[in-house]
Amino acid sequence: MEFKKEQLANGLDVIGEVNKSAKSAAVGFFVKTGSRDETEQINGVSHFLEHMLFKGTEKLSALEVNEAFDRTGAQFNAGTSEENTVFYAAVLPEYLLEVTGLWIELMRPALRGDDFSIEKNVIKEEIAMYKDMPSFDVMDRCRRLHFDGHPCGNSILGSEASIDNLTAEQMRDYFTRRYAPNNIVLACAGNFDWDQICSIAANSCSKWRQQAVERKLEHCGGSKKKKRVEKSNLAREHICLMSAGVSAQDPRRFAASLLGIIVGDNVGSRFFWELVDKALAEAATMQFGAMDGTGTFHSYISCSTDNVTRVLDTVSGIFQNLSKNGITEDELRKAKNKVLSALVIKNELPMGRLGDLGSNWIYLEQYRTVEDDINAVKAVTVDDVNVLIEQFNPGDFTQLSIGPAQNS
Amino acid sequence: MAEKFDKHVLKNGMVLLGEPMEGVASVAFGFMLPAGAALLPVGCCGAGSVIADWVFRGAGDKDSRQLGDALDGLGLARSRSVGSSHITIGAALEAGNLAQALDLYADIILKPSLEEEQFELARQLAIDGVLSLDDDPRQKVMLKLREQFYPDPLGRSPVGQIAELKALTAKKAKQIIKDNFNLSQTIFAVAGKYDFDAVCQQIEKLFEANQQEAAEPVTLGSKAGKYTHIDNDSAQVHIGLMTETVKPTDEDYYNARVAVSVLSGGMSARLFTKVREERGLCYAIGARYHALKEAAGIMCYAGTTPDKAQETLDVIIQQFNKLGDGISEEEIQRAKVGLKSSLILSSESSSSRAGAIASDYYMLGRVRSLDEIKDKIEATSVDSVLGFLRSNRFEDFTVVTIGPKQVTVK
Repeated sequence: MEFKKEQLANGLDVIGEVNKSAKSAAVGFFVKTGSRDETEQINGVSHFLEHMLFKGTEKLSALEVNEAFDRTGAQFNAGTSEENTVFYAAVLPEYLLEVTGLWIELMRPALRGDDFSIEKNVIKEEIAMYKDMPSFDVMDRCRRLHFDGHPCGNSILGSEASIDNLTAEQMRDYFTRRYAPNNIVLACAGNFDWDQICSIAANSCSKWRQQAVERKLEHCGGSKKKKRVEKSNLAREHICLMSAGVSAQDPRRFAASLLGIIVGDNVGSRFFWELVDKALAEAATMQFGAMDGTGTFHSYISCSTDNVTRVLDTVSGIFQNLSKNGITEDELRKAKNKVLSALVIKNELPMGRLGDLGSNWIYLEQYRTVEDDINAVKAVTVDDVNVLIEQFNPGDFTQLSIGPAQNS
Repeated sequence: MAEKFDKHVLKNGMVLLGEPMEGVASVAFGFMLPAGAALLPVGCCGAGSVIADWVFRGAGDKDSRQLGDALDGLGLARSRSVGSSHITIGAALEAGNLAQALDLYADIILKPSLEEEQFELARQLAIDGVLSLDDDPRQKVMLKLREQFYPDPLGRSPVGQIAELKALTAKKAKQIIKDNFNLSQTIFAVAGKYDFDAVCQQIEKLFEANQQEAAEPVTLGSKAGKYTHIDNDSAQVHIGLMTETVKPTDEDYYNARVAVSVLSGGMSARLFTKVREERGLCYAIGARYHALKEAAGIMCYAGTTPDKAQETLDVIIQQFNKLGDGISEEEIQRAKVGLKSSLILSSESSSSRAGAIASDYYMLGRVRSLDEIKDKIEATSVDSVLGFLRSNRFEDFTVVTIGPKQVTVK
């Protein structure tokens, strides 16, 4: 493994981790923009813009873009979160340069009015699709309730109304402000030629214009409000709990993710033994989500409406016990083994490696080897986790439930 | 770079397969037990989900908690699935812990505690799993589609039926385990970093037992209805559609795979282009090849708001029917590159290789090398794919919808 980096004069960071023994290579553009960087008027624009990049450039139509990707056999896609928009592809090594060249072109899209109108329908279908996924819907609504006005509570997809009202002009303006080279990282992992990637980036991206880009960073403790929403077609109760956690820049993030595993991994955790194993709930998980300058612990539970009181009492008992007694050495050892083996398996694939490589650069401007992360996980102590529990008190949460109408 | 496969057959007939991979520190393994939904006695729909949970609730000298802790202590990522033909249980982990993991899995398969109290919990979770499907219309539509498309009992839901789960007893479930965890029909596969001699010795010691007779092959009944609608006040109409095609053993198998790829391989494929890109009818639209040993089909899903449901279905069926009219050289090339590329990309993952070699062996009686698959894909052409499509016209479509509005299947 060899790490490489270069910065163009306009601020575009190009980074790569070369592994000549890999059978594939992966490339990604990590754009530091997402729903938290939107105002209410343009809510949903980051995600909509992600779709519009596939609609082509001045030279390429949408169909030509899709054909060009498919000719390389790339497994490619893009995703938008609250704070990043990532475009990525995994390919056989001989195609990496071609696919990188294609992404570079797409990063300067035409944003045609006609394409914008057709794609609006697709976005609205996507909004409808997620409405039929209560596990997603409950998380989205809970995030809004928890962040309560803080931009991290903005919906990624936006609403039907905000998408209806959005204009192509507003999107073009957002694009100019946010897709500036100094707000983007180009990353590659796996089997590829670094010099070729650097030269194509220098030749094609140097003309991109730098902009003053900013993001408001403010930690959010969360509203701790409680709310229930009724939906007549639901059969089960879907519950999301959210509380504050450390940020992606905080060294305590390793302890925080171990705490997530101890409390809410899908097997072997406290939630698992108390709720799922005892058949009180069919799903009960908790995860730590690191963000820029802030963070969350979020839980998802699905159960029958008859069990809600017992489930919530049990959850509260679990958190009280944690606050009082902390975690055990044995729990920490098992959680570490799970995290470490997942780290190893994920990083064996260039596509898996690309994710960590890019996000470490986005959040820390730092290259971290897999071993760095392994060592950081190994170094976490029971005290580290217990101090975190004391400081963040995950039992004091925002709660949002969605479930069927209750007979009153 | 020629691939190497390992194979060893125990005296009782249990097959052990392996694919060593260079440059990885992980290993993945799976036991394919012949206890899938189609092989269970009539009236026990869902027993597979109960059993796959129950056997993990204590085994050997360990109770449920001790067993769970021991598995977690090895840091392994467990996998467990119930399909039409098999219950597959396995894990991915760091290579150094493989021997300890195999010891625990041998207990789970051969010496599960099967306590009555734990049975009730496993059964309750299985019932909850069926009830939860009502809140997951996309998964529900595809399960219903398989049930309607495949001749009974092949399409039986692995998730289960409420009434049959309620009637299931611990005694009955124990009997199923005794009859269906048949080592003579079990396939074990391992891929990644391992020592095959050591694995064979260990498995031989743990699993050697008397030969068991194979179960009677299943008798196929008739197919269910052509169109099924389930009313639901959901935001979208969820459409599942399936039509028959050749099985993996058929000489036209690769022509069929390339044809499906032209239809729905990448983002330039026909369904995505015609349904989403040109008309904006859907966000999620796609078709894939789906095979059981006894039958195979092309399975398609689309989700769309109620007013667009009819048009969506019409455009999809039109695209299926037009496929045999003509395909360009460019389209075939893209389909082939896509298939070959996803084959090689997935070959870097130990879990996907362990799954692939086990499934090959079950379907074909042997493991295909990546080179063989690549060559066969390469050998297809516009003429061969069109020839296949013209002599295998898509005639019957099985359609299932869930949503606030029905469609008309012409």
